[in-house]
Amino acid sequence: MESSSGGAAPDRGLARATTSLPRCATGIEGLDNILEGGFPVGNMVLVAGSVGTGKTTLSLEFLVRGAERGERSLFISVTESSGKLIQNLSTFDFFRPELVANGSLVFVDLPVIYHKLGLEREELAPEEIDILLRTIEGLVRSLGVRRLVLDSLTSLCYRIRRDEQIRDFLLRLGGILNEAGCTSLLVSEIGPTSGRYSTHGVEEAIVDGVVLLWNNRRQGDILRVLQIVKMRGTSHSRTQYVIELTPIGLLMAPHLKGAGPGGGD
Amino acid sequence: MPADIGERLRALPVGSAVAVKLDPREYADHYFAVLNATLRDIGAEGGNHTIYVAVTSPASFVWTLAQALDVAPDRLSFVDAISHLMMNYANPLANATYVESPRALEEIMLRVEYLLRRYPHPRTTVVIDSVNSLAIHNPPELLSEFFHILLNNLKTRQVLTLVLETTDEEAASVEQMLNLVVDETIDVARGGR
Repeated sequence: MESSSGGAAPDRGLARATTSLPRCATGIEGLDNILEGGFPVGNMVLVAGSVGTGKTTLSLEFLVRGAERGERSLFISVTESSGKLIQNLSTFDFFRPELVANGSLVFVDLPVIYHKLGLEREELAPEEIDILLRTIEGLVRSLGVRRLVLDSLTSLCYRIRRDEQIRDFLLRLGGILNEAGCTSLLVSEIGPTSGRYSTHGVEEAIVDGVVLLWNNRRQGDILRVLQIVKMRGTSHSRTQYVIELTPIGLLMAPHLKGAGPGGGD
Repeated sequence: MPADIGERLRALPVGSAVAVKLDPREYADHYFAVLNATLRDIGAEGGNHTIYVAVTSPASFVWTLAQALDVAPDRLSFVDAISHLMMNYANPLANATYVESPRALEEIMLRVEYLLRRYPHPRTTVVIDSVNSLAIHNPPELLSEFFHILLNNLKTRQVLTLVLETTDEEAASVEQMLNLVVDETIDVARGGR
């Protein structure tokens, strides 16, 4: 089902001839097909969706596939413990524990970093945000990280509450990661009917791309759906795909539209 | 009759999509003849694997018939899209993957894809049983799109696909739709011709 049989944006063929940015292949075949080979290297991408839509699983597969290709991959967890994440990964055929053991795949718990840095206040002050950014930059540069996941940006932003500070944080983070040639996914938790891609509404304007995931109901059945809403530096499909999270990885099929406009959504 | 069907299937080009017509008045005989030709004749040939998409009867029922035909478990996998709906899910088969509803057509596609990747074989046959059962649960436009995408995808993978179809007057629209997406039609009532 991973052939590009879903409808493509009309300009994809034209754009392909002029697009030559290096790609960070996700390793998820269907996703790479609709992104013309993967995310442009250095892009900072928001993975937005409500609960149970596959945000963390997609992000983890992106990192594991990268680590398998020899690209050091870093998962910064804000809420879930690394141990639990690694335990969940073991249910996937494509995951090898050696990737963690040999340092190709690194997990960091952000609460531990907060504690080590003494960032204990509920709302981070500007200088504390600066310390946090420099710590992430240090990790990325010292480890030579090529892929990064922050899960979730939403939880992090509970401690950076003002829109202008979030904007500034993301602009600086994007600059640091892009300069390091690191492609990143920032997980954004949104409500099932929020109509936007982040809690504050500023995040989607700053990032280079938005991958939207949601649950679509069809006559009482729930389908997980994925759509690339935005991706700078590439011509991408804008159609909807149903996804399945399987032991061999994320699989995609075109979302059938026969039920009516919007494929029944 | 079974031998004729087997011969017809063997003679088809690689990656063919075939509608297999069963006469409702002789359904049991015709159905068994198709199973025999698909699972025992073609299925027993070296390197062949069958993925059976069960929408009419649960996989457990088909598996019982397959065992009577001496089909080995590693030669047959199921995508079962009917057991959940029938509340018949207590004892899942080891060689089956279950879709909760025959309306989740994309999930049926994805489970076929999963099995193709998970258990790669030199030759694979996909049996969809049946278009009539899928038509009970899905509107015609959705079903047309489903078959168009699935059969084309399987064709590019060089998979032989059989779509079982019970012929009667009420199913005329289903038959017309199927004719648009398959390469061949085998009429079991006519001895596979």
